Order: sequence, then structure tokens, then C-alpha cells
Amino acid sequence: MITRTLLRAFDGKTSLVVAILITIAIAVPASNLYLPVGHPLRVPNHFVPLLGKYLTYAMLALALDLVWGYCGILSLGHGAFFALGGYAMGMYLMRQIGDRGVYANPILPDFMVFLNYQELPWFWYGFDMFWFAAIMVVLVPGLLAFVFGWFAFRSRVTGVYLSIITQAMTYALLLAFFRNDMGFGGNNGLTDFKDILGAPLQAGSTRAALFAASAIALALSFIVCSAIVRSKLGKVLVAVRDAESRTRFLGYRVDNYKLFAFTASAVIAGIAGALYVPQVGIINPGEFAPANSIEIVIWTAVGGRGTLVGPIVGAVLVNAGKSWFTGVFPEFWLFALGGLFVAVTLFLPKGIVGALAQGWTALKARRVSARAEDGSDAAPEPSPAE
Amino acid sequence: MRGRWPAGQKGARKSENIPSAVDTKTMHPTCLIRTLLVALALLFTTSSAFAQDVEALVNALPEGGYSDREKVIFDLAATGDERVAGLLDALGEGDLYVREEDGRVVAGKRAGRDYALTDALTGEELGTAPSSALEKIRVNNRLRRAVRSAIGQLTLMSPSPPVRLRAARSLLRNADPDSLELLGTALAAETDPQVKKMMETARAAIIIKTDAGIEEKAAAIDLLAARGDREALAMLTGAHSSAAPELQPVIERGIAGIERKLAMWDGLQNVWYGLSLGSVLLLAAIGLAITFGVMGVINMAHGEIVMLGAYTTFAVQQVIRTSFPGLFDYSLAIALPLAFLVTALVGIAIERGIIRWLYGRPLETLLATWGLSLFLQQTVRTIFGPNNREVGNPSWMSGAFDLAGLSITWNRLWIIVFALVVFAVLLAVLNRTPLGLQMRAVTQNRRMASSMGIRTPWVDAMTFGLGSGIAGMAGVALSQIDNVSPNLGQSYIIDSFMVVVFGGVGNLWGTLVGALTLGVANKFLEPYAGAVLAKIFILVFIILFIQRRPRGLFALKGRAVDA
Amino acid sequence: MDQNHPPLLYLDGVSVSFDGFKAINNLSLIVQHGELQAIIGPNGAGKTTMMDIITGKTRPDEGEVFFAGDVDLTRLDEAAIAELGIGRKFQKPTVFESHTVWDNLELALKKPRDVFSAWFYHPSEEDVGRLEDILATIRLTERREELAANLSHGQKQWLEIGMLLAQDPKLLLVDEPVAGMTDAETVETAKLLREIAKSRSVVVVEHDMSFIRDLAARVTVLAEGSVLAQGSLDHVSADPRVIESYLGR
Repeated sequence: MITRTLLRAFDGKTSLVVAILITIAIAVPASNLYLPVGHPLRVPNHFVPLLGKYLTYAMLALALDLVWGYCGILSLGHGAFFALGGYAMGMYLMRQIGDRGVYANPILPDFMVFLNYQELPWFWYGFDMFWFAAIMVVLVPGLLAFVFGWFAFRSRVTGVYLSIITQAMTYALLLAFFRNDMGFGGNNGLTDFKDILGAPLQAGSTRAALFAASAIALALSFIVCSAIVRSKLGKVLVAVRDAESRTRFLGYRVDNYKLFAFTASAVIAGIAGALYVPQVGIINPGEFAPANSIEIVIWTAVGGRGTLVGPIVGAVLVNAGKSWFTGVFPEFWLFALGGLFVAVTLFLPKGIVGALAQGWTALKARRVSARAEDGSDAAPEPSPAE
Repeated sequence: MRGRWPAGQKGARKSENIPSAVDTKTMHPTCLIRTLLVALALLFTTSSAFAQDVEALVNALPEGGYSDREKVIFDLAATGDERVAGLLDALGEGDLYVREEDGRVVAGKRAGRDYALTDALTGEELGTAPSSALEKIRVNNRLRRAVRSAIGQLTLMSPSPPVRLRAARSLLRNADPDSLELLGTALAAETDPQVKKMMETARAAIIIKTDAGIEEKAAAIDLLAARGDREALAMLTGAHSSAAPELQPVIERGIAGIERKLAMWDGLQNVWYGLSLGSVLLLAAIGLAITFGVMGVINMAHGEIVMLGAYTTFAVQQVIRTSFPGLFDYSLAIALPLAFLVTALVGIAIERGIIRWLYGRPLETLLATWGLSLFLQQTVRTIFGPNNREVGNPSWMSGAFDLAGLSITWNRLWIIVFALVVFAVLLAVLNRTPLGLQMRAVTQNRRMASSMGIRTPWVDAMTFGLGSGIAGMAGVALSQIDNVSPNLGQSYIIDSFMVVVFGGVGNLWGTLVGALTLGVANKFLEPYAGAVLAKIFILVFIILFIQRRPRGLFALKGRAVDA
Repeated sequence: MDQNHPPLLYLDGVSVSFDGFKAINNLSLIVQHGELQAIIGPNGAGKTTMMDIITGKTRPDEGEVFFAGDVDLTRLDEAAIAELGIGRKFQKPTVFESHTVWDNLELALKKPRDVFSAWFYHPSEEDVGRLEDILATIRLTERREELAANLSHGQKQWLEIGMLLAQDPKLLLVDEPVAGMTDAETVETAKLLREIAKSRSVVVVEHDMSFIRDLAARVTVLAEGSVLAQGSLDHVSADPRVIESYLGR
């Protein structure tokens, strides 16, 4: 039964996307590692983690799309799940530093020595083991989403109210993680990582491996999301998005469906965060900022919500644009981003992919009707009325 | 833009009474007291012969040995001349000098390498002189005691009640057992009840330090306990360990009484701070209550409109500073209507340009207005620069006064008053004007209103303009207590939404109650949890509260609020 | 009430008020197994509110609502009540517009409603056959792959009735099924509902008198939140109170 569901996930489009992602996962690291420096096809060293970062953002946007595009829950707090996954990974990386820190304390990370901690806080136990950290990467965001969603959906908080309280959630976490006595490094967050699973983070091979891991994780998330949205479960989610109370009267427990989508989405976001942190080398409370979470929404909106390819396209395009802008016209980035929000909502509500798909369908429909009308196979002339 | 929210951004608020262009000119308090004394002295010194007598005594100060000087001090005190107090003060501090060129007795304060000189008696400024041109009038401990008691005598016996009151208060602080006798004499002669009470308290403070009888001490303790402030608490706590065993319970009772009283005052002070925070929240949220509550439009750029109001104030003050400095005290009165106008126009432009295309799509409205907020922020940053701009407090907004045990700053008081006035005016507009009627009609049934001949697009634009204009006026008020920077709006937007959602969408009274409740709750939590944790608690509380009552405290039916 | 053969639906002394306005006032109503009952009444008589109470959308302030003898509907939520076998068609046709006709029916098809069953659901041949039958019944076989948004108003009404059939409920609550339909469609709908009522109970709320005549059902007249009269259409239309409050003089 499960295999059949997975097989259904692999329709033509999904297979294509997965094939592209796997190609990227192999090609980019290979070109960086094996082509000589200066070769026109070689991906430069600093580009590998940058592209890897885009892929984790794409995963985050995909996660948001699952709840927003397919279930109508506009979460303005998805940055929180991303950041929590990132912190779980950051804690593992922190403990890997061992006695190579400035204060050379074998157990306590530098910031704890600096803040006069005498012993490791209990919630740092176990993070010296990768498997434990990996479980936490999934568990912590998932649990937060589950508890938050359980309360919110059961009491039928919907629409903008839900958006506002998700924003309040990430804002509260932002304030909490800024506090030094939370035990997560306060303002500065966690940084100065040395190695992951014994491999030094600065090494080209490690970066290449992290990139490949990000691409594969994105491909897997894509398959899972595809398996969800192409099943009856996905149809119920869309039904909830379009007519929530009607779905209830059909006998579906809408709260459970929302809770499932929200939690699954948070888990994907958490994994994305965990892959993000080793590639950028830092995690700090700024990731919880409400502004960041809203930015994720715009990636999804630009690409096209309610499509699975859209958020990936949107996240990569917007972030590539951001990298370019902040390099060339740093003052104008906020103008561009602000303008993008307005333009997309006003003129491109379905996003790039949605608009292309619509155009394609319209074109096909026109062909079909033209064929029906004059009984020929000739492509129709575009009429001025259209 | 990642990480754009700076650390502890809420902690960096302007302190209550930051020195502004106006109050830098005001003087140091001790300086003020001295000027006051001189002024009083001039009032009471009528006979010039008398004055001459004093001057002769002053000129005799440097001569002879310490014992001669002690006699002169008592003679000076005996003249009862008010100006002598300042002179003796300076003497006790070791600030009196003889100017070598003319033998004049002067008071000298170090000013850079030299000394700034004033006449010892009149305070008249006499320029500066290097230390080589001055000879210090030396004092020893005995003389210092003599000076103190002379000053005490001079001031405690002064004909002016405020001077006596001040003297008694300073005695209460020092509680110098040497002054007991003098105090007794002064007390016997005292007629003013307020001064008398202060003197009695001072005497009590001294008595518990002496080896007086148990009865007398117990009475003194009760007297101090009745005063009930921190000073009395410190005195009693200090006396506790060394007191006789019989007195211990009396002192403990006194301490407990004072602590109860102080706790009550603390509570009241917290209520005050809470109301003050609540009024700020109310101002920030009240415009939102119109746009979100009445129209159902999620305007994430609301905070930026508040910011525009604050920058309008800044611009007005800039013009006034450069062109009409005399009008500075009226700057807020000028900025207020201007800010309303500017932000209302911006609001109408936003409604016509963006929001009207998105009615019925609240989530899209949220995103578009968020983009707009980034745009506005960056515009302001480009024009005015990224740093905080200085917006001054007019004189009537500066300073503070004491009300019973509470310290109340004028700017906070005015903002509370202003918030309530805005609230009342808004209620009146909604309930008593044709625009208000049309707004309510459109809210309740858009199609019906439209078919009754109400131009609904016009009403939409006006409603949004009204909400934005109020946000702009809030910006004027906030410029008085907060940093005016491009990020001003961001720090209020989440709080404002919390207030509106908590109070109940579409209900102005709910916004009022919501703002004040959240403000007071925040300030009551702060002492126990710290500012940040208090804020987190409030956020979590609201998140849980919305689960219980998804429509807020006072829910009304509004249009298109839920998606 | 007859303990051996309890009625399918039993409402007794139900009242509910909104902000002081009594929408339902001491309403008592019984629907028997296999019965087709029509409910008429002026606007504001409480017809839709009554449906809201039965389907769990609104909780009554007082009174009892029992299904199949001993299931207390006032304690259950919408989803649980729907799973018990009470289907509802809304006044305004609400189908899932971004789904195809086929998917709409598949969503309604009686199957386990939990998340994971839905995720791993694959239609069996039996399911497909059943859906095709329903499509034929509601005459949408030709448009099965069409998005529901593209259907005409009447087709949406029929699709919704089709969804009710797919749900396979014991009791159907049908709110104004022929609003916006042509006369021919109305006649067809009446026929369809009579057909359905052979195997289950149907309650129809409708304004259209000729349609109710076509249904040949027992009629209950609601006014101001309670039952005014009951009986055949001819019986109630002769009742002076009904004429007064509803049919007009």
C-alpha cells in the first residue's frame, strides 16, 4: 500500500525534478573537486556552500508550501522550525569542538565558560552524538508544531488569526533565544564550528558532501510532498483549503489533517535548518526574526504556491537576486524585496510556475478548440481579442 | 535582511528624562538651592548696616587661629543672615579662599587648571584665578562640627518655613547626635505643623541612635515607622541589630509596616507604569483597530505609518530649530495635524493603490502591505539616514513630579491623556458623524450600503485614511518617548496586533481594555521575570487566549475578518 | 417513544438563541426510517439553524437530539456526526471547486476518514464502479474530469447530491436543492430524491411548492423556531395559521 502511494508520487514531473536534483547533487561537487582551478565549468569554492544554502532555503519554501499552498494555513512562523532544526545541529557541532575552543574546556562550549557555567545544562546532554542530534533535528520542530497546532487547530483558529499567532510564536522564541541564560549562546548564537562527523567543515570535500546531502534531502522532501499531495490525503488538504466546513460535514476531522500537514512541514523545515547551519557556519537568534519567516512566504509566492516546483524555483530565484543585489546595490535590496511582495500579490497571484502552467493550459485549450472548430491540425492564429 | 531585528531592541528605549535642548540649560540642583538661598537672603536682609557687620565678620574669618575662627563662625551664625549658610557650607567643604591681591574672601571651585571664583557672600562671579593667587582658609574637624551646627542653627531657626523644612530633612538624613540639642530648641519654637513633623521625625531618627530610654526609643521607632518610606526602613533596619532585646519586636513591627506600605506603593507605581505602557500600546493599536477591526484589512505597514508620523515631528522640529526657535514649545501642536494629514494621505494612497485590489483576500493583503512596510522603511532610511534622529521634548513634556509616593513623568502623563483623548474623539467620529455612520453601514452590509447610495469605495478610502492618520498622530506621541529610527514601526506592529486580537476585532472598547490590560500585566510581570521574559509570557498567554476565545475579549461580527 | 423501533432522528424541546434572539424555540421533530419529509417555513423560521443543530455546527441551549435511538448528537462534532451517517447538502452549493468532479465524489465516498488511511488509499474496482454509478445517476459522466468550478449552478447542486449519495448516509438533510434550477431539472431532482428515499430517510427544506408537491412527502411547517403544523401538503395548506404566517392571504 505504501509502495503504491510512493509509486504514485513518481509521475512524470516528479521524476524529472528528482532526476535534475540528483544530477546537481553529483555534478556540482564533482566539478568543484575534480576540475582544475580556472576551468570554465568549475564551480568555485565559495559557490558550493552558497548553492547549498539556496537548496536548504528551497526545502524550507517547499515545507511552507505544503501548509500554505495546499492547506491554506499561512504560517508566519516557519523560520522558527528552521531555526530550531539549525540549533539542534549547531549544538552537535558545538560539542564536536571539544577542547579546541578558545578556553580549551573539553565539555563546555566557549560561551558557557565565558558566562561562568559550571556544568553542562541538561538539555545539552546527548548532543555529542550525531544520531541523537539528528533525532532532535526532527523531534524538536515536529513537537513544537504538533503542540502548537493541536491547540490552534482544535480551537479552530484560522486565517489571519492563525498567521498572527504563528508570528507571535516565532517572536517569543526570538526574544527567548536572545537571552544569555537560555543556554544557547544568547545574542551570538552558536558558531566557530570545527568539524562534522569527524570531517573538517572547511575542507572542500566536506562542503561538497554537505551540498550533495542538501540536494538529496530536497529531492526526498519533494518525493514525500508529492506522495502527500497526489494522494487522497492531499485532496482532503486542498478541500480544507477551499471549503473547510464542507470538509467537516463530509466526516473528515479537519484538525487532524491540518495537524499532520503542519507537523510534517515543520519537520522538513527543521531538516533544512540542520543542513543550513554547517554550510553557513553559524546559527543565531536572528533566524527567529518574524521578518525572516515572512520572507519565506514571498519565496513561495514568487515561485507559485500550490505547485511543488514553484517554491523551489522561487527560493532559488529570490535568494540569487538577493545575493546579487546586496553585492551590487545594497541599499536597493529592500526596495526590490518590498516591490516584489506588492507586485506578486497584485499581478502574479499564482506565481511564476502557476502562471506558466495556466498559460500552457490556455494554449492547449485554444489548440483543442481551434482543432474542433476548423477540423484542421494547424496552430491557431492568436486573435486580437485575446 | 536576515537578522535585521537587533538584540534587545526593546531595551534601548530612551530614558525617561533625557536631557534635551531645553533642559541642558537648567542648572545642577545644588547650584539651584544656592541661588535660592541667595535670593532668600536678599529678601530678608534689609539693613545695610547689618550687612556691613556680616561683611566685617567674613573678612575676619581668615585671621587668627582655629579657635578665633570658631568664634567668628558662631558670630556669623548669630547674625541670622541667610547668606551666611552658603558661605559656611563652602567653608565646611574647604572651598573658601583669600584672594592674595586684595585680601577678599572668595569661594573657589576648580575649573580646569584654575579656580572659578565667586563672592563668598553674594555669589557674584569674580572670574578665575590660578591656585598660586589664592590662599585656602583651613578648617579642622572641630571647625567642621562648628560649621555644621552653625548652619543647623541658622537654618533651623530661619524665619522661612521651607528653609527650616529643608534643614530638618537634612538632619533626618544625617541623624547627627550632636544636633539633638539644637533640634530640641528649634522644635520648641516651631509653629508650622509640616516643619514640626519633619523635625520630630528627625529627632526620632537621632534618638534611636543615642542611648535614650526604652520608652523614648519605642516612641521614636513608631514615629519613624509612621513615615513609611525607604529611608525610614533603612534607619530601622540599621537600628535593629544593635537595639535592646525589648525593642526588637517594636522595630520588627515597624519594618513590617513600612514594607507593607512600600509594597502597596510599588504596586501603584507598577499600575502607573502599566497604564503608561498601555496607553502607548493603545495609541499604536487604535489606528489598527480601525483598519483591521472595522475594515478587516491586515495592514502590516501600520507600524511604518506610525514611524512616518514620528519623522513628521522630527521634520517640523528641524524647521522650527533653524527658523523659528521661539516656537519650540508649540512644535508638537504644529506636528500633530501635519502628521495626521501626511499619514492620512499616505494611507489613502495605499488603499487606492494596493489594498482595494485585494479585498476579500486577507492573506494577500498581509503580504502586500508587508512589502510596503519594507519599502517605506528603506525610503525613510534613504532620506533621513539609518540612525536615530533626535526629537526634543518641549518644556511642558519634560521632568517629573511626585504624587504622594509616586514619581510621575510629564511626558508619560501627557501621553496617557493624549491616548484617551484620541480614543474619545475616535468613538465620537464613529458614533456621531455621517462618515462614522457610513463606515458602520459599509462594515455591516456592503451591498446594502452601496445600493443605498453610499459610495463604498470613498468610504473605504476615508476609513483607511482615518486609521492611518491616527497612526501618524501616535507617531508624534511616540517620538517623545522612543527612539525615532526607521525601525520604530517594527517594534510596535506585533504588539499592536496582539492588542487588537486580544481585545476583540471590530470593537474599540476591546482595544482600550486590551491595551491597558496587556500594559499593566507586562509591568507586573517584569519585576518577577525581567522585561524579556515578561514579554514572552504575555505572547504565550495571548497565543493560549486566542485558542480559548478566537474572537478576542469583546467579539463583534465584522466583515471578512476570517479567511 | 417506542423503545423497540426508535425513530431515526428525534428532537425534543430544542431551543437555541443568538444574542437574545430565539432562533429555535422548543422545537420537537421526529424523522422515521425511510421517510421523506419536507420542511417549509418563512425566512427566519429556523430551518437552517435546525440543520446546524442536527449536524453539530450549533449546540442547542436546551433540549434533546437523538439519532437512531440512543446517540446523543449534542455531544458530537460535525465530523463524528457525518461518520454516523448524516449527510448534508448546503443551501449554497458547496463543492470543492479546484477538484475534478470525480475527485469530489471520491472524497465523499464512504471510507475510513483518518489521515493515514487517506494517504495510502487506492480506489478498489468496487469503489470505481460505485462512483461511476453515481456519476450516471447525477448525469455528470461526461464531465468527470472537469473541475467542479466549471460546472453550471444546477450541475453543482447535482454534484452535491451525488456526494451525499457517495457518503451513503442513513439520513440526508437537503437544504433548498432546486434553487436556481430550471423546471425540467426541478422535476428530475424530485424524482431523484424520491428514488433515494426508498433506501434511506431524507429531510428536504424547500420553498418551491410545486417541487414539494412532486415529492409527495409529509410536510412540516416551521415558524418562529417551532413546529406550526404537520401533515400532507393539502392538509397544511388548509391550516389557517400556516396561511397566516407563510402562504399569505
